[in-house]
Amino acid sequence: MEKRMTMWESFSSRGISRRTFLKTCSALTVLMGLPFTDYKKVVEAATKQPLPVVVWLHGHECTGCDEAFIRSQSPLASDLLLNLISLEYSDTLSASSGEPFEKHLESVIKQYDGKFILAVEGGVPLADQGISCMIGGKPFVDILKGVAQHAAAVIEYGSCAAWGGVQAAKPNPTGSVSVSKVVAGKPIIKVPGCPPIPEVMTGVVMHLALFGQIPPLDSQGRPKQFFGNRIHDTCYRRAFFDAGMFAERFDDAGSRAGWCLYKLGCRGPETYNSCGNMRWWNGLSYPIQSGSPCIGCSSDGFWDNGPFMERLPNIVTPNSLTNADKVGAVATIAAMVGVTAHAVASSLQKAKYPPVEPPKDEEQEKEDKH
Amino acid sequence: MKRVVVDPVTRIEGHLRVELTVDETTGKVQDALSSGTAWRGIETILKGRDPRDAWAFTQRFCGVCTTVHALASVRAVEDALGIQIPKNANYIRNIMAASQATQDHLVHFYHLHALDWVSPVEALKADPVGTASIQNAILSKYDLGLSGPVEFDTGAYPKEFPRATPSFFKAVQDKVKKLVESGQLGIFAAHWWDHPDYRLLPPEVHLMAVAHYLTMLDRQRELVASHVVFGGKNPHPQYIVGGMPCAISMNDMNAPVNTARLGVVDASVNLGISAVNYFDLPDLRAIGDIDVTQHKVVDGGGLAGKCVRGYGDFPEDTYSGIANGDYHKRLLLRCQGVVENFAAGVMAAKFTNLEGKDYVDPEIITENIEHSWYTYPQAGKGLHPFAGVTDPQFTGPKEGTKTNWKYLDEKGKYSWIKTPVWRGRTAEVGPLARYIVVYVKVKQGLMQPTWAEKMMVDQVDAVSKVLGAHAHVWMVSTVGRTACRGLESQVMAYVNKYFLDKLIKNIGAGDTATANMEKFEPATWPKEARGVGLHEAPRGALGHWIQIKDGLTANYQAVVPTTWNGCPRDSRAGYGAYEASMIETRVKEADKPLEILKVIHSFDPCIACATHLFDTEGNEKSVAHSDPFLNVCGGCGK
Repeated sequence: MEKRMTMWESFSSRGISRRTFLKTCSALTVLMGLPFTDYKKVVEAATKQPLPVVVWLHGHECTGCDEAFIRSQSPLASDLLLNLISLEYSDTLSASSGEPFEKHLESVIKQYDGKFILAVEGGVPLADQGISCMIGGKPFVDILKGVAQHAAAVIEYGSCAAWGGVQAAKPNPTGSVSVSKVVAGKPIIKVPGCPPIPEVMTGVVMHLALFGQIPPLDSQGRPKQFFGNRIHDTCYRRAFFDAGMFAERFDDAGSRAGWCLYKLGCRGPETYNSCGNMRWWNGLSYPIQSGSPCIGCSSDGFWDNGPFMERLPNIVTPNSLTNADKVGAVATIAAMVGVTAHAVASSLQKAKYPPVEPPKDEEQEKEDKH
Repeated sequence: MKRVVVDPVTRIEGHLRVELTVDETTGKVQDALSSGTAWRGIETILKGRDPRDAWAFTQRFCGVCTTVHALASVRAVEDALGIQIPKNANYIRNIMAASQATQDHLVHFYHLHALDWVSPVEALKADPVGTASIQNAILSKYDLGLSGPVEFDTGAYPKEFPRATPSFFKAVQDKVKKLVESGQLGIFAAHWWDHPDYRLLPPEVHLMAVAHYLTMLDRQRELVASHVVFGGKNPHPQYIVGGMPCAISMNDMNAPVNTARLGVVDASVNLGISAVNYFDLPDLRAIGDIDVTQHKVVDGGGLAGKCVRGYGDFPEDTYSGIANGDYHKRLLLRCQGVVENFAAGVMAAKFTNLEGKDYVDPEIITENIEHSWYTYPQAGKGLHPFAGVTDPQFTGPKEGTKTNWKYLDEKGKYSWIKTPVWRGRTAEVGPLARYIVVYVKVKQGLMQPTWAEKMMVDQVDAVSKVLGAHAHVWMVSTVGRTACRGLESQVMAYVNKYFLDKLIKNIGAGDTATANMEKFEPATWPKEARGVGLHEAPRGALGHWIQIKDGLTANYQAVVPTTWNGCPRDSRAGYGAYEASMIETRVKEADKPLEILKVIHSFDPCIACATHLFDTEGNEKSVAHSDPFLNVCGGCGK
């Protein structure tokens, strides 16, 4: 395969002037959210650096995001790792261990100061000075802060890095938080999901590698091309929701016929993700297509939004049409209101989830549940 | 004497630190400690939640061995509530588990372990023509000639096969060369490539293995297509208590499972068989053969020759419970039990059964905390998981500060992992343990083997023949541990096919049920219930214990494989499996302990799991407590 051209090589080979190239670099500096004083560094990077350097740190995580990353079909993992990026530090894939590995991180930070992409997988535990996640004898939070200040941009891979994740569910024993709670002053791309869809993960890096810029983000910092719609908006079972055709329990006639799983607890109407359009394994399936209600794994705080297999409660709103049982009767309008009701219901649900500490008496807890 | 620290240990799941004291003149490891340096508290988080959601939380213990904790969890809840799942659900779960084992073992070998033997730098010296001929030689020499039962023979020819073409190897070599010249080595950067052990294999084997590293990196995703079809995604497919959510229908166009979907799984199962038969196994056997017969590298056995343990798995059919003993009556893989003293020979080894009520007996499995960052009310007495106390006592390192360690304290507490013991002994779990238990049970005539068990015994005998060594000699080593994982991937590829055949036949007979919903609603549950869920995860025997009260999870504990293998020492029980194996490993260069990476990787560590914060009464403790058992991601079996 051809060696990848630097951005400058690519420009000059197409007869684009140095002046235009420099202009582009200054635009890039702004696009990447870097201070204009970093302009020279961007020029240098675009001239000399053949592959975008990625440093991947692991905090409180399960490595499911790495696994998702290498499940990508397009681009394939090998093309990505050898031709699109240079993954210089990864607990999971790097050959090196221990001291040379840590020294290498130091030298990468120095060599690519302000130019590398920092990918973070996992939440950041803060309780007791962060001792519940130690790497190389130091708390992860300290390492993260140290590396992040030298990065060009930060990717929060997965719901742990983006929102705190499963360990941050109540009562959050380790005081885990998202990366953006401890890293400031850097452009941050949120890529939530537990794990995210493989091609969403690689798509973000691919975008950075191909276009040299951060993909357009929504107000929460998520790439719009992957998180711009709710699963409900793109779900192939949406027509059944609109028609009021629901599975009432697992393995009933509705489940077998592939009707809407809303009554079995589906969080699709409040979950922003690409499951409905991209699906998993390049279109093969996603939880709903496999008969399982969405648990909302890319949403902030979804772990405290259970029980997953129970329909979110009906909410009485000024609009009497919001009872979801009647949705089918008044298709479109009711569907829209139903979605709103979901969002409201979910936020109320979060607020009233019984905290584990202090323990409540049983009566109260029962009441809260039902 | 030199003290060497390796932290972080990479190419594993989670955060692991090891420290060694090495005699630099002899290379002998005088002492070794293994420390899990992270805990997440997921068991604490489970308390007070709906037990029907526990699978989703526990599955996030580990994403490498995804699916395994979800499976152990739904089995535990079903055991507690007396739910018998439909046949199809049992078959589908077995397919997902076998797919996982096949894929996970393969990814472990190529992407987490192979770089301990294979170097891209050495591959540059290879002759591509010679590589092609070595590839051919390996394929013919290392074919075991074994297979499992195949009822619906849908695979016309091998769907992936090693290319033995000089121009292919030349292209791979050119790519590696460009990578090295660019100075951007990426995942290959900063390793001990100059270690003498990288010259044990000829350069052509290095180039072949690097090519396979890349080929399998791109194909492994297809081996878990069953998770995506039946569970909607991977990692972390979806389950339900009572069966599987993927309804089956041949009458509905939109059904989650129909003929076309089964076709997707079938293609994936066939690819798995090709991948293990033509890549994983021959490569592994070639490397192992060169190590053992030419270089006599047989060390790192540790606890394998002393005490190994399994739980058994792959129910042939649906069962009424685990603690009541029914689960163990119809298993395809009956590796439940303990084997002591295998190093003395297969007939001299001692077998002890482990079934049904043994899993809830407070005397049989206990956990100690002598060297773990916890404290017990009664010092020196181990506790059963059901009576577990997890009161943390972080004591810091021996040298350095709380947030900047130099050396951990091997004489005091040094890990977030507790020390689980079987009747007072530490034990090794994992593929090697499963092979030893089955081999001993069959050879001693303690059971008539199922087809899968017979295949395991035949594999071991075939390898013994090639190596010219007794099973108890070559198996009890780092190479043996890695080899058994490879052998098991072959068995698992056929177990996958076996249960897919059973699923198809059962659907063909008119049974499409996937879920038993009779006891899904909490209103149907007893006021209190408790159960155990078992699974032979890729990394070893996994157990989940749940207590349900008033429809909610009152207590939850998972005893995971890496807790057994990665635990700290105990003055009476002895060293943990990692530590015992490291101590039996010779290190050529103290400051480049490549052999230690090899032996640790041979266990396929998974350190992600964490701990819970409650004592037996469910009162929250003031500081961080860890479930002794859950310190490591065991699901993955790691």
